[in-house]
Amino acid sequence: MLEMTIHDKSCRGCRFCLDVCPTDCFVFNEETQKAMVAKVDNCIACLSCTSICPAAAITHRNHHVVANFYRNINFSRRMEKFL
Amino acid sequence: MNNGKIRLNTEWLCDCGGCHVALVDLHDKILNVLEAVEIQKCPVLTDVKEYPEADIGILTGSIRTEHDRHAALEMRKKCKKIIALGTCAVYGGLHGAGLAHSREEIMDTVYRRTPTTKTDFIPDAGVTGLEKIVTPVDEIIDVDLYLPGCPPHAHYIFEALTDLIEDREIKTRQETVCSGCRRIMKKTDISAIRNNNDSALDDEVCFLSQGHICLGSVTLDRCLAPCPNHGIMCTGCAGPTMQILTEPTHDIRTEVSDRMSRLTKIDAADIRKHMEKSAKTHYAYAMATKMIGNKPTFLIRKWIAEVEDQR
Repeated sequence: MLEMTIHDKSCRGCRFCLDVCPTDCFVFNEETQKAMVAKVDNCIACLSCTSICPAAAITHRNHHVVANFYRNINFSRRMEKFL
Repeated sequence: MNNGKIRLNTEWLCDCGGCHVALVDLHDKILNVLEAVEIQKCPVLTDVKEYPEADIGILTGSIRTEHDRHAALEMRKKCKKIIALGTCAVYGGLHGAGLAHSREEIMDTVYRRTPTTKTDFIPDAGVTGLEKIVTPVDEIIDVDLYLPGCPPHAHYIFEALTDLIEDREIKTRQETVCSGCRRIMKKTDISAIRNNNDSALDDEVCFLSQGHICLGSVTLDRCLAPCPNHGIMCTGCAGPTMQILTEPTHDIRTEVSDRMSRLTKIDAADIRKHMEKSAKTHYAYAMATKMIGNKPTFLIRKWIAEVEDQR
């Protein structure tokens, strides 16, 4: 089952995730000025929200990961070694 | 192991020395580290010229001179594990911007053409030769772990060292500087890019929302975001995020312009153009590494030529 979480402390309240999500998974909490995951069932794991999030605050788990065929090989070899 | 302690060598190459100061910045916690570690070679603490055998070797700074290259190779031979510590070691660092000029241009400017310089010769004694380009450490030797940051905050150094000492699995953190910044990102009607001294800033609102170029969203958080929290835009000193490094079409200027144009009424293309004009500043910390230098979207020579043509 796919999981999607927003690291609350990191969220800057930009609403980009609400803007880009094609399946309206997010809602905005006016009180805290932070985005929240509302309907994770809708998520198609396109990762648009992860890509646009300025704080890298959105994490997906148990989603299908596409192979790294188009990625930057120079970095992909090093990625696991970053502290 | 020596007396049950882990042997540590550190060496600085071409850098400002700040990363070594950051090691000392562990304050009281350095005592915890010293319980488990024996520091053998460390330019700021010990007067050891040779390279003793060690378990962990920390290298700060990039390869700029022949001596740097020699030191890096010696460290690799003698240390079981090498950590590239700091942005210079990982990405080439600020002086990586030297790549935009030839070695001769740099030497000439520093020793002959600077208005305050009285001499008219290039020194050739007492210093080893300047290499043609700035090279991050991992292009010369194999690196086991990377810890970028300018310098990395003591919090991350301590975490990394204790994980290594206790042989725990290392954690790769992907958060950006924005994640540690308390400013609110909100949509505004700002329609033009503003300069640093243009106007009074709102301390509660994101710099991008206010029309200022801030690299927080494209920079790894290895600092706990002190600059934006104290009213200074992020200059990207810890180097680009994992996303920029992995994706061939993502770039510092494309990501900043995308986010800033969503927050303001400024056109993304205008922001990109603006950033290309000052690309040497925005890309300075990481342009020496192939992870950025080989990107199809990174056209530094073209951008510099465009600015010079307009002069």
